[in-house]
Amino acid sequence: MNYVISIWHVMRRELKQMFARPLYMFASVGVMLLSTFFFITLMRQGNAEKMPMAVVDKDQTAISRRLCHEMQATPSVDICLITSSYSEAREAMQQGHIYGIFVIPESFYDDLVSLKRPQLDFYVTNAYTVGGNTAYKQMLTVANLVSGAFQREVLRKKGMSDDMIMRRIQPLVVEGHMIANPWNNYSIYLVSTILPGILGLVCIMLTIFAIGYELKAQTSHDWLRTAGGNYTVAMIGKLIPYTVMFVVLGFGCYAMMFGFAGFPVYGSHARLLLGLLLYIFAMEAAGISLIGCVPTLRDAISIGALYSMLGFSLSGFTYPVSNMLPPFQALSWLEPLRHYYLIYVNEALMAAPWSNSMVPALSLCAFLLLALIVSPRLHKALVYQNYPLK
Amino acid sequence: MKHIFRHLWLQTLDTWNVFIAELRRIFRDPGVMVIFFLATLAYPVIYKAIYWNEQITDIPVAVVDLSHSPESREFIHKWNAAPEVKVAYSCTSMAEAEQLLRDQKIHGILYVPHDFAAQLADPFGQAHLSLYCDMSSFLYMKGVYLSCNMVMLESMNAIQIDRYEQMGMGKELAWSLVQDAPYTETALFTPTGGYGSFLIPAVLVMILHQTLLFGICMLGGTAREENKELYRLPGRGRGYSVFRLVLGRSAVYFMIYYALAVVLLIAMPRLFNLPHIGQVGDLLRFIVPFLLATIFFSMSMSVFIRNRETGIVLLISTSLIFLFIAGISWPKEMIPDAWRYLSYIIPYTAGAHGFIHINSMGATLWTTRTEYITLWSLSGAYFLITCLLYFFIGKYKEQQKQ
Repeated sequence: MNYVISIWHVMRRELKQMFARPLYMFASVGVMLLSTFFFITLMRQGNAEKMPMAVVDKDQTAISRRLCHEMQATPSVDICLITSSYSEAREAMQQGHIYGIFVIPESFYDDLVSLKRPQLDFYVTNAYTVGGNTAYKQMLTVANLVSGAFQREVLRKKGMSDDMIMRRIQPLVVEGHMIANPWNNYSIYLVSTILPGILGLVCIMLTIFAIGYELKAQTSHDWLRTAGGNYTVAMIGKLIPYTVMFVVLGFGCYAMMFGFAGFPVYGSHARLLLGLLLYIFAMEAAGISLIGCVPTLRDAISIGALYSMLGFSLSGFTYPVSNMLPPFQALSWLEPLRHYYLIYVNEALMAAPWSNSMVPALSLCAFLLLALIVSPRLHKALVYQNYPLK
Repeated sequence: MKHIFRHLWLQTLDTWNVFIAELRRIFRDPGVMVIFFLATLAYPVIYKAIYWNEQITDIPVAVVDLSHSPESREFIHKWNAAPEVKVAYSCTSMAEAEQLLRDQKIHGILYVPHDFAAQLADPFGQAHLSLYCDMSSFLYMKGVYLSCNMVMLESMNAIQIDRYEQMGMGKELAWSLVQDAPYTETALFTPTGGYGSFLIPAVLVMILHQTLLFGICMLGGTAREENKELYRLPGRGRGYSVFRLVLGRSAVYFMIYYALAVVLLIAMPRLFNLPHIGQVGDLLRFIVPFLLATIFFSMSMSVFIRNRETGIVLLISTSLIFLFIAGISWPKEMIPDAWRYLSYIIPYTAGAHGFIHINSMGATLWTTRTEYITLWSLSGAYFLITCLLYFFIGKYKEQQKQ
């Protein structure tokens, strides 16, 4: 009973501090509201559409204009520049106005009908991945369509039916099936991991700050006294308000992604939410471990920032972990975001059995253990205040 | 006349004193030193190491070949030969392959139906293949999908030619009918086309931008904490001395960061074999307004930071927002107008695009004039904002004292 009262006292002390300084609310609620709103509105369309590109039309005949027209009719590209000068198109690309250049050579039409096999060229920029890719796919399709269209004309003259012609032109079809994200929606790729990542930043930074500030302001004795001298009580009382806040923010963010924005979850919501919960705890635990290992607020904050920012790369949601050098594959285990991402893939996309998520879930739990191991050191630091203040 | 010279001399002396004081403050503060030097130089190395392998190679995939024909085996063989994928499993049923996918042992499945060979043999047949892509990462999907499509296009041409020959066409004619308009594709500027070549240049600019922001906020927060006279000249009490303070301080940051920018934006792309086809002279000139805009932007922000550490706690997530709002990862054409307009006031946007245009795409400073002019305008605007903020805060503190 005594403990409960002490915890309550510590909590009350913490809540007073949280509301006394605007930083706490700005850095948690403010950041999460802004980020969630930002990322969900940023990629609302989900697909790169109407990517600007240029056509260098050196032929300028009916057929080259029809080619432009057909390309323009597709949803993925927008021909914003038709010119006869390649250097003009290249300069537009260097200015970032377009992502691809499609070159129709001189006397293209004449060469085509006289079977001289005129050459089409297309250029894409790799300096911007998404735009370049989209333009590339479209130009590839159109270039293949050209051969198809010409064959169709020839076969029609031979009296074949359209159905037969189609089979002739496309004797082999690859039907693509995009598992769990049939729209190839970028928002689902990116936002589903970025937002939990930012939530993690909030968790670790505020945890480090809340504990580290007691050291810096030398108020840790007051804190321990409020807790009746009990370290565990002091930690529990301090962390409860933050944890409640992080969980509310996390679940709100979850509702925005998988409810409002309509990201798919093919597996179990309950298990994914549990994964999110474990991830929040793990990030807090990582924060406690950091400030415990380095009980100087400024250093712990700097290291925490480096550590959690690397989580975005090491989680492997853009660039696969399996493609990284072995030491970084190993390092990725130290990032809670990596484990959350694996649970997300299993639950939301693969609808895999729960046993598949056991390893990442247990890894997240291991962070809690880490915090326990570091605790004696942190306790000493709180008692002796024997670390530099700035 | 003599009076004016004396006045100017004193002003210069004041600015010089501010410069020296700020320099001393930075080099005596290990926290700022870590951000300005250690983080700025270590981050690029870490990122380069993470994205070391430019291409995604040997993505494990499975095939379910129900056709068991030479044709299907040839197709699978060709696909396996593509650098992107590696056929790691050969399954007898879709259920088996799906299980492997669910366990993330593979990232793609090619299903070959039993009538594959028969359809190909039929002069009017159409053979269907089904490709299942793992969508957990964009790069898996891209590798699996594009490589399979490339093999499909290649095989298709061979089949078409065979069929036209069967129709009695000469080989030459059949060939020119199928390949009536051959094409070449060229990836401009960054031939390797890897993920690192795309991302790291943008990250280098981000590192400069964010370390300046965090470092200057830390300096501002520390001075506030220690109740130093941040917005007044120490000692001398002539006027509010805003210009002398702003110029003296920004000169220190500029001096340090110009050297760092040369290392990050000019030396590192060459050292790390990232794209670097820009003219060094153009880059040297482009860096100037980028740094000035970022410095004055950071100085304006630092006014609102009250503690040493709060800058990082509050602003750490801006790194992601700045990266995305700038339209690097997600094309700028797709960004809602409101966000796009907002992105123009962040120096990173014009800085990153300008750097990518010059460094990765070989643009000249003249071609990049839009970004160059934007950065100069931002420098001017943030300089004025910083001065105004310093002036009002100095005045406010003055009143508080009285």
